[in-house]
Amino acid sequence: MAKAMLIDPSMCFFCNACSVECKQQNSVPIGKNVFLTQMVIHEAGKFPKVKQRFIKRACNHCTDAACVDVCPTRALYHHKDGYVVLDQSRCNGCGYCSQFCPFQIPQLEIMDTFSGTARSHKCTFCAERVGQGYETSCAAACPFGAITFGDREKLIAQGQARVKALQSRGATEAHLYGEKELGGLHVLYVLEQRPGYYGLPENPRYPAIPKVLDAVKVLGYAALGATVVGLGVNWVIARRNIRAEEGAEKEEGKSHE
Amino acid sequence: MNKKIKGSQFLVIFSFVQRLVHWVNFIGFMLLMITGAFLFAPPLQGLVVGPAGWLSRAGHRWGAIIVGVAAVLYVFFDPKGFWRSMKEIFTWGEIDWKWAQAAPRYYFYGDESGMPPQGRFNTGQKIFYLTYVITLIILGATGLVMWLGKGSVSPTLFQWSVLLHDLAAIVITAFFLVHLYLAMAHPAMRPAMDAIRFGFLPKDYVKHHHARYYEKLFPQKSKEA
Repeated sequence: MAKAMLIDPSMCFFCNACSVECKQQNSVPIGKNVFLTQMVIHEAGKFPKVKQRFIKRACNHCTDAACVDVCPTRALYHHKDGYVVLDQSRCNGCGYCSQFCPFQIPQLEIMDTFSGTARSHKCTFCAERVGQGYETSCAAACPFGAITFGDREKLIAQGQARVKALQSRGATEAHLYGEKELGGLHVLYVLEQRPGYYGLPENPRYPAIPKVLDAVKVLGYAALGATVVGLGVNWVIARRNIRAEEGAEKEEGKSHE
Repeated sequence: MNKKIKGSQFLVIFSFVQRLVHWVNFIGFMLLMITGAFLFAPPLQGLVVGPAGWLSRAGHRWGAIIVGVAAVLYVFFDPKGFWRSMKEIFTWGEIDWKWAQAAPRYYFYGDESGMPPQGRFNTGQKIFYLTYVITLIILGATGLVMWLGKGSVSPTLFQWSVLLHDLAAIVITAFFLVHLYLAMAHPAMRPAMDAIRFGFLPKDYVKHHHARYYEKLFPQKSKEA
């Protein structure tokens, strides 16, 4: 059964309990600009009519996850419950995940710029807790019910009900984000405004390059294979012919003597 | 480089700096090719998991530095040779087309009857050298983007860099295999290995295989002949 989280910024008070609990649960390095989840403020309007929207920014656990496809060491993979796991012991710090993510979520902690020693960080979906039947730590920490953990199907229904409630209260733009995006996110958002208002991409797209890279790998094997075969054929033919010719030349030389 | 050793039957083809640059390049290139293949080819990717990957990626950077140092060495210690080689590999004409037509018969059958007279680099050598220079520039530029650009360049530029880096690497690896094969295995190419190791070639060989270059060195003699 696919698991998910439902984020409802309209219930959020920016208390940061989620990000604090997350740091504690997941042993996030302290004193570095690394967050597995982070509260972000988006301001809109001009003084005095300023509005702030808060949103929890973290991995959205896409079904069509570019990071999983570009990771060369399979440190990133899909859990059977749908979310994306990062196994840091397999990560070699290439940083492709951070550059191919449509939401630009994974953070690369670079320990040494010269040698490239680095490792990637992103939301773990509290895989250990979830595996034992608990909810994610951010959901457990949220005092206002802005983060709900559960089965994805149920959360979609719950989110749609919430959207309707918001719409009936005059939030005409309210909608559920993440149901269809990128094959279905495992983090769903009830948004009162357009996604851009919260710093989310309006229409997140799976980048084009990873598929091209797969084709390039096939092309690479084919090109190098053909080269090796071609050279082998050349060697066999050239050796026979050139030897035969040299032999003929020698014999010619002898007969002239 | 075009020095003639008096009274000798040998011609100096490559200067000391040129040979040094070649072999420094060779070391760097091998390092780059091997560590690059680890990241590129899925069957090898299991070797660069975690800290092993840090080592491999650091090796790839050292390889890049070695190749970069080789280029700088060449430009600073043998600028004349460098610019002359550059000029030669960017000069293309009808003779190269004729070479391409005659080449299969030569490389498969040792039949050199159709081969037009060649300069210091023949057409095939020019193709390899030019490809190396062009792919090296592409690999260097895209490599620097991936090395130092994470976070400061747009993800789109980074993604295109990965793609171009892969493509250029495939091209130069294929050409390198041909280069290695011709230098080490092809039955008709043995003397080339002496030129790049010791710098000189037999006078007769040059006259035979690089006739235009020989004519440049010894204009009158060839007229007499």
